[in-house]
Amino acid sequence: MAALLEIRGLSAGLQGRRSVTQVVSNVDLDVQSGEILGVVGESGCGKSTLATAIMRLLTPPQVLQSGTMTMNLKDGSAYELLRLSPRALRELRWRHLSYIPQGSMNSLNPVLRVGRQMTDTLIQHGLSQAEAHERSVAALQLVNLEPRLLESYPHELSGGMRQRVIIAAAVSMRPALIVADELTTALDVVTQRQILQELTNIRDELGATIILITHDMGVVAQIADRVAVMYAGKIAELGAVNGIFEAPLHPYSQGLIGSIPRESGQRIVGLPGEAPSPWNYPTGCRFHPRCPKVFDPCSEYEPGLRTQGSGRWAACHLYDAEVVSDA
Amino acid sequence: MTANADARAGESATERQDAGRREVFQYAVRRFGVYLFTLWAAITVAFFIFRLVPGDPMNILLGNLTRAEGRQRDAEAQEAIIAHYRQIFGMDEPLPAQYINYLRKAILGGLDLGPSFVEYPAQTKDLVFRRMPWTIGIFTTSVLLAWIVGTGLGALIGWLQRSRLSQLAVVISTLLQITPVYLVALGLIIYVGYTWRLLPAGGPYARHLQPEWTWEFISSLLTHAILPMLSNMIVIGAGFTLGMRALMISVLGEDYLTFARAKGLSPFTVLKDYAFRNALIPQVTALAIIVGATLNGTFIIEVLFQLPGLGTLFVQAMGLRDFNTMQAVVLFSIFAVLTLTLIVDLALPLLDPRIRRTA
Ligand SMILES: Nc1ncnc2c1ncn2[C@@H]1O[C@H](COP(=O)(O)OP(=O)(O)OP(=O)(O)O)[C@@H](O)[C@H]1O
Ligand code: SF4
Ligand SMILES: [Mg+2]
Repeated sequence: MAALLEIRGLSAGLQGRRSVTQVVSNVDLDVQSGEILGVVGESGCGKSTLATAIMRLLTPPQVLQSGTMTMNLKDGSAYELLRLSPRALRELRWRHLSYIPQGSMNSLNPVLRVGRQMTDTLIQHGLSQAEAHERSVAALQLVNLEPRLLESYPHELSGGMRQRVIIAAAVSMRPALIVADELTTALDVVTQRQILQELTNIRDELGATIILITHDMGVVAQIADRVAVMYAGKIAELGAVNGIFEAPLHPYSQGLIGSIPRESGQRIVGLPGEAPSPWNYPTGCRFHPRCPKVFDPCSEYEPGLRTQGSGRWAACHLYDAEVVSDA
Repeated sequence: MTANADARAGESATERQDAGRREVFQYAVRRFGVYLFTLWAAITVAFFIFRLVPGDPMNILLGNLTRAEGRQRDAEAQEAIIAHYRQIFGMDEPLPAQYINYLRKAILGGLDLGPSFVEYPAQTKDLVFRRMPWTIGIFTTSVLLAWIVGTGLGALIGWLQRSRLSQLAVVISTLLQITPVYLVALGLIIYVGYTWRLLPAGGPYARHLQPEWTWEFISSLLTHAILPMLSNMIVIGAGFTLGMRALMISVLGEDYLTFARAKGLSPFTVLKDYAFRNALIPQVTALAIIVGATLNGTFIIEVLFQLPGLGTLFVQAMGLRDFNTMQAVVLFSIFAVLTLTLIVDLALPLLDPRIRRTA
């Protein structure tokens, strides 16, 4: 069966005065129906740019450079996301594709009541006032919120409640795919755990597919099925969470997983150095200046994302048979 | 466990609402106190400042009287006349006593602001009431129209910020905004009024008419009002346009706008409910601020267009050092401005659920 979302060769960048600086480079990614796919990477590696590109919400100076994205729904219909007209795109949004943006705390309009902000979009998608209200109440229940919160203004809610309202809004039309960017970053650990639990329940109850973007490997470990590790705008490694956590292939994944605080709360191995910004992505393998296993071809040739069997992919010359035998 | 936590969270939401209402009430009371204090302070400053202007009103009065009668009185008669008038105008007492008397009569005497020199023995209060409709009419209408047009236009060019036309509109508005209002008024008088003779550019209505409820009079009144109001509107409207544009652009960058788009709302709904609505709140505050800053421009316009409003009254009174009338004009203009500002400020909590003023 075709993947729910097939991303091919997606590149996005920042429009400068003369040229475009590429931020996300040539991303190939299949999102399987019903899974929670974690996307992890250090701050600034292009996770949000990827998410907004998928949502077609890039705003200048951000520009889409190339690629295709196909959404294959259960009913057999397929949408070429980058070709949709503005009207078709509006129809698709929320009905099939929802978004929980980074900084969700500020994603509610402070001068409109929560209820209005949940129902306005449902009504524009063809529901009656009563149906929209009913759906919103049901959605709030999924995240353990009471219906009367619909009467509140955002500033009357705590951060965790606001985040839950955003989640409820995003799932209210039972979309096939939810893109959630840094869902829990601003929350305390307890609320974070509760919300992740609620998200898992939503996936199970609604059969939704979730792309969960985070820089927190702990979050990925807790709820994701598969994980895509991003480094400097590219996917470094992709595979099932268990596999990658047990035996990360890419030196960057190894570093990331090594840096998760264990129970003692200490970092075992840190990642030395700083992540490059799009204006000075290194040549060859973008990780080579920081890579403990760097060898000859790394600074010259860019490694492609190659399959390593059993659903695992890695972009590193160490796992590239030809290069290794040459060296 | 989660259910418990959320029940508590729900309670705190109602509590926050109650606390919010209480704070809004306290805010209104405090705001009204500030209003009364400002009114008092303004009239006090006006009282003393005008008396510091060189020139004794009595000498000016006497000079006018002499010129009118065409003969010189002897010194004794002059002294008697001056003493008489000093007493009528309450100027025979020391300054502090004059001040106390003035306040007492104004507050307890049913707004008795004393007689005027300008049209002696008419009461200052009546003079001001007679002139006020002109000023209020021109000023309020032009500021409100400027606000409405400027807000709409500013919202539009902010929304379409990247279009050429928008950028052109910004340049034009900026130029208009920095032009002094009297230059705009003079330009309109010279070109529209005299060179092209499109509209009347002087006087409140055609000279041969009498105020009455006839179509001829009313249309004359309205056509005479166009240029004075336009002078005010162009300058103030340009300011409102630029202000609203800046507000829109900053709102357009807010996270809730991205989210509104992500929800699949139509661009019109996003504009109306998410961008415009939010930008409007500070724009209403701007109205309150501008109201105070542009009244003097209206006075200048009255003088240039020879309209019988408070501005021309003030200029006449100034020539005679007619303290009573000058003070009354100040009192009424401050009163009008402060009241408008008060209304706007008190209306804000209705528009903005977040308003919280902490003491
Ligand atoms: N609108 C923009 N203007 C300027 N730079 C931008 C813009 N959007 C993204 N960038 C740059 O592109 C790079 C990637 O940004 P992005 O927000 O996608 O990273 P991220 O992985 O989501 O980071 P974080 O974990 O901090 O959210 C960063 O270097 C950022 O500075
Ligand atoms: S390609 Fe070379 S530099 Fe890049 S991760 Fe692999 S070993 Fe390190
Ligand atoms: Mg981000």
